[in-house]
Amino acid sequence: METRLTDVLVIGSGFGAAAPALRLAQAGWSVTILEKGPRIGPGGEAFRQTQDPKYLLRYLKGLSGDHLGLTYAEALGGGSGFYEMVSLRAPTVAFEQVDGEGRRLWPAGLTRADLDPYYDIAERMLRVEQIAERDVPKSGQVFALMMKSLGYSCDRARYAVRNCLGSGYCVTGCIYGAKQSLHVNYLPQAVAAGAEILCGIEALSIARLPRARRRSGSNTSLPYRYLVRCRVGEGPGEEVEYRARIVILGGGTVGTARLLLASGETLPRLSTQVGRNVAFNGSVKAAAILPDSFPEGDMFQGRSHPGMISYEFLESHGISIFAVKPLPVQLIAAARLRLAGLPRRPDWWGEDHVALMRHVRHRMIALVSLGLTPPSARIRLDARGRTQLEMEPSRELERYERDIYQLLASILERNGCRLVETPAIDRHGMTQEGLHFSTAHQTGSCRMADAPARGVVDARGEVFGYPGLYVTDGAAIPSSLAVNTSLTILANAERIAAGLVERYRPAA
Amino acid sequence: MLSDQNHPVSLDLSRREVLRRLVLGGMAITAGACAPVRLVLKAYPSEFDHDQSLTDRTLTAFVHTVTPGLPQGPHPAVRVLQDDFYPIAPYAAFLASDLDRRAESRFHRSFRDLQPGERRMVIQDGLDADTITRRLYTGAVFLTQISVYGGVHDDRAGSPLINFPGGYQPPIPASLSHPEVERFRTRSLTADGNPA
Repeated sequence: METRLTDVLVIGSGFGAAAPALRLAQAGWSVTILEKGPRIGPGGEAFRQTQDPKYLLRYLKGLSGDHLGLTYAEALGGGSGFYEMVSLRAPTVAFEQVDGEGRRLWPAGLTRADLDPYYDIAERMLRVEQIAERDVPKSGQVFALMMKSLGYSCDRARYAVRNCLGSGYCVTGCIYGAKQSLHVNYLPQAVAAGAEILCGIEALSIARLPRARRRSGSNTSLPYRYLVRCRVGEGPGEEVEYRARIVILGGGTVGTARLLLASGETLPRLSTQVGRNVAFNGSVKAAAILPDSFPEGDMFQGRSHPGMISYEFLESHGISIFAVKPLPVQLIAAARLRLAGLPRRPDWWGEDHVALMRHVRHRMIALVSLGLTPPSARIRLDARGRTQLEMEPSRELERYERDIYQLLASILERNGCRLVETPAIDRHGMTQEGLHFSTAHQTGSCRMADAPARGVVDARGEVFGYPGLYVTDGAAIPSSLAVNTSLTILANAERIAAGLVERYRPAA
Repeated sequence: MLSDQNHPVSLDLSRREVLRRLVLGGMAITAGACAPVRLVLKAYPSEFDHDQSLTDRTLTAFVHTVTPGLPQGPHPAVRVLQDDFYPIAPYAAFLASDLDRRAESRFHRSFRDLQPGERRMVIQDGLDADTITRRLYTGAVFLTQISVYGGVHDDRAGSPLINFPGGYQPPIPASLSHPEVERFRTRSLTADGNPA
């Protein structure tokens, strides 16, 4: 097996990986970035404006359990190629959440105020700005009008985008380069600083190398501390191993948990919390047909996210609310749409369903809430090494889902809308019975904590018991955020990266 | 395990053994890996395995029933149902034969010769059948909807059936946003869009 050497091995290329890769490369370290997925974006396989599952399933993956479904990206740039560009700072209340015993979920001394300087950096890098009023798409305007009619507030959202043409295909990858994904900032800057990016390589396991003492002085005086076994390509493939002085885990909440779980034998001092405490941002949805009294609202044109978000219920319910305007396949792949109260069968296929789908573009509106649900899911490996997702339903979660749905439905109905039922379905079209959440905002499988009994890494992102091994992605974020998670993951990664640069600064 | 596509069930298994395995693994069977008993035993008319046109015509009738309003004739969704990338493909011939069997049983005619309302009843029969058959029919309906509504076979064409325009065409700027912005202006809680 070929053995390769690098100062810093970064596993993953999404929001959690890109910042430390760039900052450590700028600091003079040799940095190698390994991405399991294909090289997509400018200079690689091209993004497409399509609904073709063959395209979508190549880059977007799912992990489903009985009560929870997670979506994540496996491609260069991670989720940044496919996200909606919404870039919001998590509210203060998200950082102050406590567990059942009253203990704060975030480590001591880590608050919104501590993260604000790194939010600043992340926003500059992604060129985040609040959307101008004149650029709010019709769907966002209609949502704002609904909230206004009930006396509720609604804010213009913030985006990482430049020169948006409004094609509406943000979530399949922006073919115009308007989206400020990591392909146009962090990753090319990291390469310019000397980093190497390799795609199609999957890290399989991590082992600690025998201890060697740091001499002092230059970067190269730090000993190689970790051996990472990798597979090149899909299937059995060729294997290579990397020896690295520092290893950064940035493969996402699912990928990082999977890798550490697979390394249990070679990293025996890992916290038993690996894979646990997965938060899922409490996503609840309600859809409806707009009444004729509302102005024509094109739910497709313009950026994917409609530009407006409401924090009206953040304090009272711990949620933000926005509208969505998904592409047709996103809609029916997520829910079995049925006009509420329709007495005829069939109601989810046939003439009535086609008639309902004809409303998607102009008269259907869907509201989504993101909320501060507790970190109660778990990722584990079964006996055959396959990744499994578990979440125990609780009365609290059932009450949360019911209450928030009723709130969203109430907003729609009080505006004269006719509700559309949206029971969740699995990837084969079967309805999910009972409580079910689905999200792409999963965090926390290897969360930061004050002690290994409560988490996997410390507040600096370093894995308890394993110096030089770091988690910098969504896996480290200890809680739901009630807003889109990408900016917080990036800001936290910037914070950890700043600490790394400072900590491993070569002696003068 | 029966539900593992990489380990297909041997066709010379006894019916008892097949049923046993279906009970053990079948409750969690997915449409992608399901193998209805009659398929495993090949107890359906062999012409559906040997006459592609018969399968195509039956599945065309299925697609037109699930998503009525399509132009007459074959639709690309029929190809999707038989595309090896998707999990229904191994069972496409069985699905076609099962539609015919249910049509003959209820109306004494082939599925292709039924009126739209009669076809709906036949499909509903399959959706109301045993767990495994229900999963197959549900998966086939779901895949048909994805194919038709998403315009899967032509990114540019989209889905005229539901007025989905497909690939981006430069819009008239005024179509993106209502001009009278002040009408939609609401009270804001933040200075810059970020929650406090």
